[in-house]
Amino acid sequence: MNVSHNELEGICRKAFQGIGFSEGDAADAADMVAWMEVHGLGGIAALKKGVHFLLKEGESQPPSIIYQDADVTVLDAHGNSILGNASLALELGYVRARARGLSVTKIRHCHNRILVIGYLSRLARRGMNVTAFWRNAHDPLTELVVGFRAGHPIPDLCFYSLEAVPDDIEKNDGITLVMANHVDLMPGLRSSQPLTNLIQHSEPDLVARKAQLLTAGMEVDDDLWKTLKSLADRLLVEATEDSRSGAGAGTNDND
Amino acid sequence: MNHSAEHLADPELRPARCVMNLVRLGSFHASRLSFTRSLVRQMAREHWSVTRARFDLDDDGHGVAIYRLDTPHNRYHGVVFSQALDPEKRSDRVIAEAWDVTFAIVEGEVDDRLLEQMAANVPLQEAGRQNPRLLVLSRANKSLRNFGDFVDALASGRQPDPAWLTRVGYLYRTTAVYGNGKFGIADYARLQQSPDFRRPFSAQMFAVYLLRHFSIEQVNHIAAMRAPDVAVPLAPALQRYLGIGNSTGLGMAPFLINHPRLIQQWVYCREWALAHARQRRPDAASRQRLLDLMHRVQRHFEQTVTEDEAQTRRNRETVAALTQSIGWLERTPANATLWTDLLDWVATQGSLEAEELINTLLIELYPDLIDAVEDNLGCDDQLDLQPEMRVSALKQLIESRYGWALDYDPDDPNHHYWFWYRSAEKEEPRLGVRAEERGAEKEMPVAIGPRVYRTHQLLGEFLALAPNASVVEFLMAHPHQKECVRRIQTLAQTPYGEIQANLWHRDMKPMHLLRTKLSFFGASRFDPKSDRWVRVTLFQGAPLLDELGGQWPVGGRRLAELDDWSFPVEPQAGAL
Repeated sequence: MNVSHNELEGICRKAFQGIGFSEGDAADAADMVAWMEVHGLGGIAALKKGVHFLLKEGESQPPSIIYQDADVTVLDAHGNSILGNASLALELGYVRARARGLSVTKIRHCHNRILVIGYLSRLARRGMNVTAFWRNAHDPLTELVVGFRAGHPIPDLCFYSLEAVPDDIEKNDGITLVMANHVDLMPGLRSSQPLTNLIQHSEPDLVARKAQLLTAGMEVDDDLWKTLKSLADRLLVEATEDSRSGAGAGTNDND
Repeated sequence: MNHSAEHLADPELRPARCVMNLVRLGSFHASRLSFTRSLVRQMAREHWSVTRARFDLDDDGHGVAIYRLDTPHNRYHGVVFSQALDPEKRSDRVIAEAWDVTFAIVEGEVDDRLLEQMAANVPLQEAGRQNPRLLVLSRANKSLRNFGDFVDALASGRQPDPAWLTRVGYLYRTTAVYGNGKFGIADYARLQQSPDFRRPFSAQMFAVYLLRHFSIEQVNHIAAMRAPDVAVPLAPALQRYLGIGNSTGLGMAPFLINHPRLIQQWVYCREWALAHARQRRPDAASRQRLLDLMHRVQRHFEQTVTEDEAQTRRNRETVAALTQSIGWLERTPANATLWTDLLDWVATQGSLEAEELINTLLIELYPDLIDAVEDNLGCDDQLDLQPEMRVSALKQLIESRYGWALDYDPDDPNHHYWFWYRSAEKEEPRLGVRAEERGAEKEMPVAIGPRVYRTHQLLGEFLALAPNASVVEFLMAHPHQKECVRRIQTLAQTPYGEIQANLWHRDMKPMHLLRTKLSFFGASRFDPKSDRWVRVTLFQGAPLLDELGGQWPVGGRRLAELDDWSFPVEPQAGAL
């Protein structure tokens, strides 16, 4: 079905609250999904992939800090989705960068990482340069680099696969964020390795995509919508004869 | 003109503890800044043209009508579906499933394919899936008595009694006017760049205005079909005196809480205009203009009919205070402090409604002030965290800006008497008594006062353990506080935005919340049907389409005349 941005964000917010997210986490998570979708970056597809994990996770909790100093923070998300957990970890990186000029934040053991881009947009709007990097799988090994310039809520983004796979057995389920107060961090694509399957989105591409999707609406498959709706319905109170009077209106308005 | 530190320091702005008091907000009236007034000015200034593109109604007025709107920038269409409705199904509540008319505003052209899709979905309203080219979706029910009486009168060749419109000022009342992406229609984000509808709710207000035009054409059509040789069209003076009703319940209340930056902007613009109006030097002409307006408003309130005892009492008090104020102003010559002296004097009369009326009329005197702010009523609605703030600073911020919230007493059952929730019946917002009804565990978090109280408590405990901690560290320990904290941090930068009332309190009157929003819409004739359900009238007295579209020079006296339609009074029989 075709939905508007506001509808998508609204149903996601209610569904996440229905799962058990706090009001703030639900609003952030919904914003992340809708932000990605309206910029043509697959927010709905990512949510569809992650929604069943979310149902198992229930109430949202921030990642736990396993190492921190003034410049570097390492957190463990315990295999949870970035949706319900990441925002405070990102805010921690933001605070460190504000204080020290530059910070590095690593969040280990999380999934749905692509959706983090929606929240990073907010940090960029608040004047922070942000670069996020992660690897997706081993076969093929893919890397995603996203960079926001301070004051620009729309990023540049590159996604590519590497032909030569390094001898590394560590699972790729973390994300690394570098934030800087005053310096644009977005790298040029100057890898020494051959880059294949390159997908690159520039800021103007994403702005145009947003305008187009706001005009045409966005497609959500019926099953996902039904799932979200049933989760959202958890917030509704069953009607009774008494509750009908709680709206304070009559039932017939002929006059 | 967004709020800013320099404006915060403006000594003439009234303090938030006065303005954002819920009872005072519930005494606000429609003003020159209201969305209906603003829209009509824009339509007049830009010579918006509305023409009939299709009018396929049967003898009973049922069928399809399509109107074409041309602005200097774009073309739109208004599509109205009118149907016969079983009286048993006529309900103004959101749980209704059928209405007398359903309608929509469409961006661009309406071809057969789109019309077919709309015919299958617009009459279903919430149960349909709407096209993204629709900007507004709405529905309305007839005032049966007025409608029948009007058709009877016109079909027998006479004009309806103007008193009928004084009693109920419309033929149709809307029961919801949807915008911003609801049920698949266009997002407000698309309109924010539109030169025609970028102001908040302006597309919705245009839909209501167009329904008024349709109601006039429809009633004329039915009368003419019934008695082709005898029927007369509705007299222009009665067309002007005809508005569109609106029936509104608790659904409006969460909006005010969930869009605090927007509310801040609306209230701020009104207060900014008022502060500057008070500073203007009164002269004989402006004093006389105010007196003329006060006489008209007095008459308007004398003629306002409601069955609600409390509102009737308030209207009487308003009229009495206005009578006294007129006497005071007639005795007092124009001098430099006349406006502030008048406001100080009115404040001693014990009618908040009268105080806010005089404020509304003062703004009316100085059109240039409104012209300066009316394009600033919209804003980015996002709440932003300041994670680097010290916890001690956040605690102090609450104490300095949210003192009213700290009055909450968790041990007093009256302080958490109500809870707000959405019913499984079409998500209709309702109020329940916490100690007696089920569902409190699913309540909507609209009571900001108690939440801020809780945040303040937790901050105190956290501060004892970590005196130098930052807000993000507090939130890592108390992640559920994130939404409340960023709300406090965002709104503390602005003077208004937070309604200073505990919405759980037993003495809280939801009607004040509804009226706050309706006053900014431009509603008049407040007619409460209970303490949480109200009927109002929009566009009563507003210029007609053919008056707005005429070829006259932009600006100047003609525009001022067209804009002067607030607080309408019943037309004299001789004017028909």
